[in-house]
Amino acid sequence: MEEKEVLRAVRRKTRLRLGSALITLALYFSYIFNYLPSGSFLKERLGSSWISGSLAMFAGLIILFIFLEWLFLFVDSDDDPDADER
Amino acid sequence: MIPTRMSASTLVRSTAMCVLSLLLLLLIPGYALAAGSIDGEVQRQPLNLTAIGMFLVFVVITLGISYWASRRTNSSKDFYTAGGGISGLQNGTAIAGDFMSAASFLGVTGLIFLGGFDGLVLALGAFSAWPLMLFLLAKRVRNLGSFTFVDVVSQRLDQTPIRIVTVTGTIVVVILYLIAQMVGAGKLIELLFGLPYQLAVILVTLLVLAYVTFGGMLATTWVQIVKAILLIIGATVAAFLVMKESGFSLNVLFAGAAENHPRGSAILGSGLLFDDPVQIATIMVSMMFGTLGLPHILMRLFTVPNMREARKSVFYASLFMGYFYLAVIILGFGTIYLLYGQPEYFGPDGKLIGGNNMAAIHLANAVGGDLLTGFLSAVSFATILAVVAGLTVSGAAAISHDIYAEVICKGNPNAHTELTLTRITTLVIGVIAVVLGIMFENENVAFIATMPMVVAASVNFPILFLSLFWPGLTTRGAITGGIVGLVSSVVLIVVGPQVWVSVLGYQEALFPYDYPALFTLPLALGVTWCISVSDRSARGAIDRRNYHDLLLRSEYGTTGKPHEVHL
Repeated sequence: MEEKEVLRAVRRKTRLRLGSALITLALYFSYIFNYLPSGSFLKERLGSSWISGSLAMFAGLIILFIFLEWLFLFVDSDDDPDADER
Repeated sequence: MIPTRMSASTLVRSTAMCVLSLLLLLLIPGYALAAGSIDGEVQRQPLNLTAIGMFLVFVVITLGISYWASRRTNSSKDFYTAGGGISGLQNGTAIAGDFMSAASFLGVTGLIFLGGFDGLVLALGAFSAWPLMLFLLAKRVRNLGSFTFVDVVSQRLDQTPIRIVTVTGTIVVVILYLIAQMVGAGKLIELLFGLPYQLAVILVTLLVLAYVTFGGMLATTWVQIVKAILLIIGATVAAFLVMKESGFSLNVLFAGAAENHPRGSAILGSGLLFDDPVQIATIMVSMMFGTLGLPHILMRLFTVPNMREARKSVFYASLFMGYFYLAVIILGFGTIYLLYGQPEYFGPDGKLIGGNNMAAIHLANAVGGDLLTGFLSAVSFATILAVVAGLTVSGAAAISHDIYAEVICKGNPNAHTELTLTRITTLVIGVIAVVLGIMFENENVAFIATMPMVVAASVNFPILFLSLFWPGLTTRGAITGGIVGLVSSVVLIVVGPQVWVSVLGYQEALFPYDYPALFTLPLALGVTWCISVSDRSARGAIDRRNYHDLLLRSEYGTTGKPHEVHL
């Protein structure tokens, strides 16, 4: 395989890595809304339940991050099959 | 020269007997001391024979693991990375066991007991680093390193200076992290057994030394696996029993918690412990990027045979930790629901017996009686042992591998001397752990656990990340940025509220935040960038040229090329 193709593949993988990381960072730092006046709605209870928007956000972020990891492993699954031998 | 199996096993057997004898000597008078102290302080915590029994069972099992592992630990590679023979699932479980520390379990639950929702920010910070670990670091670090993350950063930079800087960061992180674990251990055993705090700290250190000195990473891995399984079982059972008390209704749980807590329904939202968005941002930056720079966590990526297993490890670790932190919501609000208003859990001063860090243990007593209290106490103790063992291996590797083998011996060490030095370093770290554990007796373990995060985020992470993703990084830039990150984070921690006010006794802190990584991480990155782009040295040119080769190897391992079929 030509080096140019290899480099193109590495760049694609790097873009995937950095893109996934940026999505994670954006979701993660959205948690700060809980402490901003603009995020005061998160303190409200969801409907008639006692679960607040803040608590739902915490649990939702954890589940979403696990899903993102699974998705990343799925998308970035074209790893070298010889890796097991190294 | 590698020591022979016969001499090693004889040495191990005799030393294991000595350690076991020492433990028994410590436990027997300790038991008597416990009884004495219980007589005088019955209201604090009655002697729990179930807990003592479970604790002893755990000790015997883990010492057995160490003995088994010691027969398979004959080289430095065995000591540092268990010979690279751990599977992805095993390593993921061990990572979870290594990372779900006393701060995660006791500290976060205690903070929720104190301030409701605000206590969860540390949990989110700790968990959210794992997706980034998978996306950015797992594969590349595994493909480039041998034993430690320092191996990775020294691949393209000038080895000697960069190793010295990153090892310094590693040692500072290990020592700070040890403090948190030792404080947690001392408090827990003091409360559970009535043992003096200092004796508890010494006991923990002796056990960890027995695991690590002889069993190395293999023993550490299995202690962490056993601990992770026990912790998840314990958290599941406790959460189930809390839900049973609330009729398996989250509404009843949260409504009951809001009714019992002095601040009412405010506990369901933010603002009781933290109200400054900048403060929250500093905590979040410290926790996330600190985790990505923790040497004992990064070291676990080298215990698997290849990068595929390394990636699997991180995913499995995330699954276990995600589940655990979701259970912590129930446990935390369960403490509010079931402990407030129960006088037996509060002292004459109106505060929770043993402090807020013991809320989870009291909850276990409330929902599961002595049996669950004993189990969770033993699990908490196992938690501390597992984390301290991981830290000790990491600290020992930093000295014996990164400094002795790679810097002093230029990569050609005497194998026997290196292994001996590793074990001596392990003993020295044990002594340091005892001294610091006693010095920091009265600090909140969750807050102390954040301090090494700041240093790791400001020193280790910037150097590691830039070495993997930025072609322009030079040795000069990395060293200057690392030193600036280290000095600024230590100085700001010292002049911050936790040390300047709580430890040194001044009235007002010179810097308002406990976790300065929001400032020190960008500072380290900025300095590294400025120095690197202005570096016109010959070494700088070599560093930049090295990136191309490093990039290919980081994605495709030693060959630097992908398999033909896949591109």
